[in-house]
This record gives sequence, structure tokens and C-alpha cells, in this order.
Amino acid sequence: MTAFIARRLVLLPIVVIGTTLLIFALTQLLSPAMRASLFVQDPNQMRDLEAIIRKYGLDRPFYVQYWEWLKNVVRGDLGYSFVARQTVAEAIRSFFPTTLELSLFSFGLLLMVGIWLGTLSAVHKDRWIDHLSRTVSIVGTGLPTFVWGLVLLLLFYGMHPWFPPGRLSLEAYLYVTSDRFRSYTGLLTLDALLNGQLWIFWDALRHLVLPVLTLSYFTAAVLVRVMRSAMLETLRQDYVRTARAKGLPEPVVIRRHARRNALIPVITLASLILAGLLTGAVITETIYDLPGIGRWGAQAAQQLDIPGVAGFALFSAVLVVLGNLAADILYAFVDPRIRY
Amino acid sequence: MVEMQSFRVILLVGVLVVSLALGLGISSAQQVKNPDTLIIAHSGDVDSLDPAWQYDTLSSGITLWNVYETLIFFRGGSVGDYVPMLATQVPSLRNGLISRDARTFTFPINPQARFSDGTPVTAEDVKYSLMRFMMIDRDGGPSWVLLQPITGEDTTRDKDGKFRMEIFDRADRAIQVRGNSVVITLARPYAPFLNIMASWSMVISKRAAIAKGDWDGRRETVARFNNPQRNADTKLFEGAVGTGPFVIERWDRGTKTVILRRNERYWRGQRAALQRVVFRTVEEFATRRLMLQQGDADFITVGRPEQSQVEGLPGVRIVDDLSQFVTQALFLNLNVKGAGNPYLGSGRLDGNGIPANFFSDVQVRRAIAQSIDYGAIRRDCFRNKITLGNGPIPRGMFGYNERGRWYTYDRDRAIAAWREVQGGRVWETGFKLTVLYNTGNAARRCASEILKRSIESLNPKFQVEVTSLAWSTYLAQENEGRLPIYFLGWAADYADPDNFVYPFMHSNGTFTKAQSYSNPEVDRLIEEAQRTADPARRRQIYFRLQEIAYTDVPTVYLGYPTGFVVMRSWVRGWYWNPMFFGLGYLYALSKQ
Repeated sequence: MTAFIARRLVLLPIVVIGTTLLIFALTQLLSPAMRASLFVQDPNQMRDLEAIIRKYGLDRPFYVQYWEWLKNVVRGDLGYSFVARQTVAEAIRSFFPTTLELSLFSFGLLLMVGIWLGTLSAVHKDRWIDHLSRTVSIVGTGLPTFVWGLVLLLLFYGMHPWFPPGRLSLEAYLYVTSDRFRSYTGLLTLDALLNGQLWIFWDALRHLVLPVLTLSYFTAAVLVRVMRSAMLETLRQDYVRTARAKGLPEPVVIRRHARRNALIPVITLASLILAGLLTGAVITETIYDLPGIGRWGAQAAQQLDIPGVAGFALFSAVLVVLGNLAADILYAFVDPRIRY
Repeated sequence: MVEMQSFRVILLVGVLVVSLALGLGISSAQQVKNPDTLIIAHSGDVDSLDPAWQYDTLSSGITLWNVYETLIFFRGGSVGDYVPMLATQVPSLRNGLISRDARTFTFPINPQARFSDGTPVTAEDVKYSLMRFMMIDRDGGPSWVLLQPITGEDTTRDKDGKFRMEIFDRADRAIQVRGNSVVITLARPYAPFLNIMASWSMVISKRAAIAKGDWDGRRETVARFNNPQRNADTKLFEGAVGTGPFVIERWDRGTKTVILRRNERYWRGQRAALQRVVFRTVEEFATRRLMLQQGDADFITVGRPEQSQVEGLPGVRIVDDLSQFVTQALFLNLNVKGAGNPYLGSGRLDGNGIPANFFSDVQVRRAIAQSIDYGAIRRDCFRNKITLGNGPIPRGMFGYNERGRWYTYDRDRAIAAWREVQGGRVWETGFKLTVLYNTGNAARRCASEILKRSIESLNPKFQVEVTSLAWSTYLAQENEGRLPIYFLGWAADYADPDNFVYPFMHSNGTFTKAQSYSNPEVDRLIEEAQRTADPARRRQIYFRLQEIAYTDVPTVYLGYPTGFVVMRSWVRGWYWNPMFFGLGYLYALSKQ
């Protein structure tokens, strides 16, 4: 097992170098003047274009720029993100907790709903509950996040101001940023409890409802379909028939014998989903005005903030590799037949 | 069965949610939300709170006059009439504070003036602030605005990017502290100087700046302070100590929020009515709109194309037709650069492209100017919220000629003009033009389409292709002189015509350089107007420049769009000045 984990971790630098090198190489397609666009955003600044290109070394070949970047990364300096107005490390530290909190809540919800509804659907195959859950999940996979997100916001903020956008209300925000509140994790719900401020916990939770629903719906829908087909597959297996034949009650057959085996593809998918949530909730973050890491990454890419994009890619690569690793380890727990 | 029971629960919850969503909610008359706090939801990103770094509308809009005050200020909505702010008097020839040769300006500093930390404002603070503003001189920054009149140069560095100590010495000599007055001697008479001072003479506390580790004001350390790499490198990135009615409480870059708190010891006596002002970045327009509707935002930024979506919202006030000193134009490139430039098509006059120097022929330029349906552009692309243009100087600014001539659209006359070009050769062979705009700019896209329609309707051999580029690429390609015919605009750095005629017409101007346009008479006139203090003579020169803009027509002036502001109607005290950035003067505002 240790050897397996080590082997996986060795892959990490390769993935990181691959993705970031690609990012730097792609910038080669743009002229130095275009690469300077991050610093020149208005015609009134055009007079200094040449000087800016020189100042930031934008006319140097990409491998030189990449080498500089890599050297600094090895030294622990990820560079400065102009889009974030802070260093890349600071940017990750300030944007990631928002995304993490959003992802954890969404992930918990979608796992529960996905597994439960998928099982239900498979057990009652072709009955009305199956049809309903399939319809709901097809709509979920088909409906773009921004439509679903805006509809929810319109209904539950525009028509009934229950769930406002942002991370906190103004009063809560002012309290959280004051000296009276200590930040332990950056996860507001958790920090609020640690500070013993229940009202902030509720406030933060209230602001999480819509983004969590938005984010979970699409992915839960996918999960439901995978769970359902995996479950149908296992329900046809001999050992399920055996279990039933020896007189085990149906819920035990389903939970202990069938569902556990059906979870393997779900774990694979879930690890991908989690990695995706942690790095790519751009649309949800934008609609609900959540200052998360996905929004920063997207903005950095749009504005050609190369250190920003590279830092974001590096961070994402780490998350994806770790996510896959976690999934691999989980397989062994769910299915004792799997050995590394 | 267990599963059936939980299903019933789901169903129940679903029914509940839907029914609540569809109308059980109570809509009551809204009371003023957060009466002491003004919330602004905008779409941009704050660049820096350092007064010497800021050059974007949003950052300046947050701090200028709210946190940092200037020596003089604009009287109400006027841009040519000033009132004292940190100075006790507005310098003029009459009160002797402007010397006879119009080069020396004396600003007596108000002895009552106090920084937000309670310390008095001295002439030394003023000198330090002005020197700091000039000496930081970051690439792409605003320092040139003061450097040019005071030192006669627009940068502190030589061609290789090395700092020139002589510029420091020149500035150091030009700004003198005499008692409690600051005396500034310009490199040569420069008429717009007072106007520049009204917007760009932000005063900060020298002591507090040095305490934060910023430049100490000495010659020995200035080279190191010059041209920082990153906005975060200046010690005043998160704000300096100013004299304004508000102080910076915090800038939270994680949540993209800037909070200003009322300066309880504001030196002019009366404190601001608002206790707090919150600037929040909310990128999505739909979200901003809902926040406005719910009263969670008092001001939001709205683009012209989105305006109809905020009209008629209860409790929302829109003030439209605000003069804002912006000129929108269609630029013609007299000498398009770049071998194999795709925007030139075949690169020859063969009906499939244009030669690189196509627009160097003034007849072609005039024919283009006559082929544009200005009325349609105003109506369809700007919703009539634009004054048609006749030159670089926007309407409402000194030097604008109400009666200046400009081209009008007349199909027959346009055809006649095209038939004359190059003895009819262009009319016979035709051409293929590529007109460009920046992606996402709806007004420019619309103008491009109208241009295409009106030119193509003249002659079946005239083809126009419309292409858009991402803003960054667009600006860069423009600067490299690669775009043949394209749309751009310019917003005032300060309210003087020189800030428009120079970039638009002087051979060394930002736009003209890229267009390869040069006219020695124009250069001479622009430079003369800079030196002339006599308003009558200056006006005469700007009127003459307008005539040349009309006859030479390297640039087709579409017009001067007006702005609008969207706010909750419970906001009181709001007024407008074209030199305000963004939404206005926070000191005057309250909510009730």
C-alpha cells in the first residue's frame, strides 16, 4: 500500500510540470504586446506598452520565462497574481476556503442524494419512482448550471429574499472581520461554531443553501444514473440471489450485499466530482458572488495572468492527483478483494 | 417500506418549496436597509488604494475626494470653476497667486486642514505628495499627468529604463515650500494646470507614509522607489492617511470588498452622513440587479445594453444623460503594419482586399466619412444617448465648437465621393475592408454592422467584413498599427481639451502614432495652445484644430456618449460632475 501511494505521488511533479509547461507554451502563440494586456487595460496607458513589455520580460522566449517560474516554485515562491492583487500563495489561501466549504456541503449532499436515489431507482426499476428520479436526473444533466443557478436566485432571493448571494450578510461580515472573531479554518460555518457564534453559523449556512443546491443538482444527477446502473448490475449477481434465498430481509440484501458492491464506480466518479468541485465551480461562484478559487482561475486565464493561471493549474493538479489517490485507497476499504 | 416513507417526505418538501416560491411570500413596502451604510455593487477589480498608483476609474472613484483630498476642487457640476479644498484660495492672475508669465502657481495651505489621524497638513506634506506621485512613475501609471507640466518630460526614465536623477532635481526645484504655501513653477506655461490640480493633487501624510516604510522623500532613495514591479510593492497599496471625510477601514482582497469608515474628526467640521461605504465586486449583472432590487445594494454598475433591465424597478432611480467627457471614434490607419496582415485581405486593390496605405489617400478617408449612417448609429447602437461628434473635444468641454462642421450621411453624395477617388479606380475595382471592434462591446458591434450595411449598399463591389478581437489582443494590435479600420474611445484624464487633441491629433499622440497620421500644422497648434493662457486664443486654436480634423479626417468622430447612474431612490444628496469617477462625491450622500 505504501509503495503504491509513493508511486502515485511521484507522478505528481510530472503532472504539474506537464500542465504548467503547456500553459507557458500556449502563451507563445501571443505576441509580447498581447501578453502585456494584463498591465495595459485602457487606451490611456498605451504610451508605456514598450516599457511594460521590457519591465516584465514579456518578450523573452517562453522556456526562459518558464525556467524562471519553475526555479521560483522550487524555492517555494509561486509568484504574484495581478488579477488577485496578491501573491499566488495568498490567493489560494484566501479563495480556497470558500470553495472548500461550498464543495464539502455540496459533496455531502450529492453523495447522499445520489446514492440513495440511485439505489431506490434501481430497486424499483421501471416503477413510477424510478421514472421520476430518472426524469429529474436527466433534467439535471441537461440543464446548464447558469440557468438553474439564476432561476434559484430569482425565486429565493429576487421574489423571496430568503437566501441572499455572497458569503455573509453585512452585519455578519463586519463581525467576522473584526477583532472579536478568530479565523481558524476559513470555513465560516466551522469557524462560527468554534467562536461560539451561532448566528454567524446560521448566516453562513443561509448563504450556502442556493449555491449548494445549484452545484449538487447537476452532479447528483450524474451520480444517480451511475449508481442506478451499477446497482441494477449487482442486483442481477448470483450472490444477491443467494442472499435472498437464504432468507435475509430485503433491506439487508440491498444495503449490505448489493449496494456495497455497486459503490465501486460511484467512488471513481465521486473522486472526480470532488476534484471538479474544488477547482471548477466557476459559474456557481460567479452567480452567487462567492469569492472562490474557480472564479479566480477563470479570471486569471481571461486576463492572461500567467503566474495566476500556472499557480491555479498547479494547485488543481495536486488536488486531482490526491483525489484519485484517495479513491484508490477507498476501493480497498469498500472491496476487500482489491489489494495493492 | 422504508423507501416509500422517505419518498413521501421528499414529495412533501417539494410541494412546500414550490408553493412558497410561487407566491406565499409577502412583499411589503421596503424600508431603508442599512440606513448608515452605502453599498455599491460594481463589476470591476480594485487595482490599488495608493493614490500614486491608481489610474483606473474604480480605484480612483473609491478614494479621490473621499479619502484623499486635493488642493482645489470643482465647484458643483462645473469643470472650469474651482473652489478651495486644502488650499485657502484658488490661484488666479487677479489674486496674484498665478505669476504674470503664467508659470508660477502659489497654493497657500489651509492651517485648519487635518489628516484623519489628527495631525495638521503642512506645505511639506503637499510637496511630498506631489513628488511621490511623480517619482513613483510606474509604467502605465498616471505620473505623466504631473510630470509633463512640472518637469517638461512625461517620464522619469531614459530609453533604457534607467532613472534620470535630473528629473527628480527639476521637480524638486520646481516645487518650493514657502512658509505654509506651496509654490509650483512649471517648465513652461501650461494652461490646463489648475484643472489637473483639481483632480490629481491628492495630499497624504508624509509622516504616516514614512512610518509605513514608504519613500522618505530624499534624493538618495528615490531611484529605488521609482517604478515598482507590482502594485502590492508600494507600502501604501492598502491606503494612505489622507484628509478626506472617509478613511479606509479595510480592503479585503479575498472577498473583493473595500470598506470606508467615516472620518469622525473630519477637518471641515461637518462629518459625513454615512457611517460606512462598502464597495463590493459582484461580477454577474443579474446578481447585482437582484441586490439592487432587494435594497442590498444602493448603487450598481449597469452597462447601456442592460439599462432596460433596471428601468421601472420600484424604488430605483436612474439618472441619465450625464456628461462624461468621452469621445468615441472610428480610426483609419494610414499605414497598416505587418507583413501578410490578415485584415488587409489580398493586400492590393483588386477587389479582395486593400493596400496597406489605402487610407493615406484623404479622398478615401472623406468618402468613408460620408458613407456612415450616423443617425442609425446614434439611434440603434447608443439608444440616442450620444451627441454626434465633430472632432476630438467632447461636448461640454472648453474648446468644443458647437457649430463645427462634420460629415452627414447621404447615399448619393457618398457614391459621388467614391467615384472621384483615384480617378474612379476604386469604384471600378472595389475593395474588401475588415472593420474591427473589441469582443463584447455591443455598441461597437452594432456600429460595425451599420458601417458594413451602408458601405456595401453603395456598390456591390464594396465588401466589408466585421471582426472582433478580445480587448487585450485588440489594444495590442492597435498599438502595433495592425488594424486598418477600428473603433476606440478615450476618457478624460483631466478636463482640458489638450487631453483630447494630443492623443487624437498630435503626431506623437497615443492614437495618431498607431495610425501614422502626422500634420506639422496640427503639432504646432497643439503646442501653442498648451503654452497659451489666454482663453480666447486657445479657443481659436481648438476651433481651428476641429476644422483640420474635419478636412484631414484620419479619424471619424462618432460622438460623445453620455453616462447614467443607477441607485436606490432613498439615496439623497447625489450630484454629478463630469470629472467624477464612477458614482459621485460620497461626502454629500445620505440615505432616508
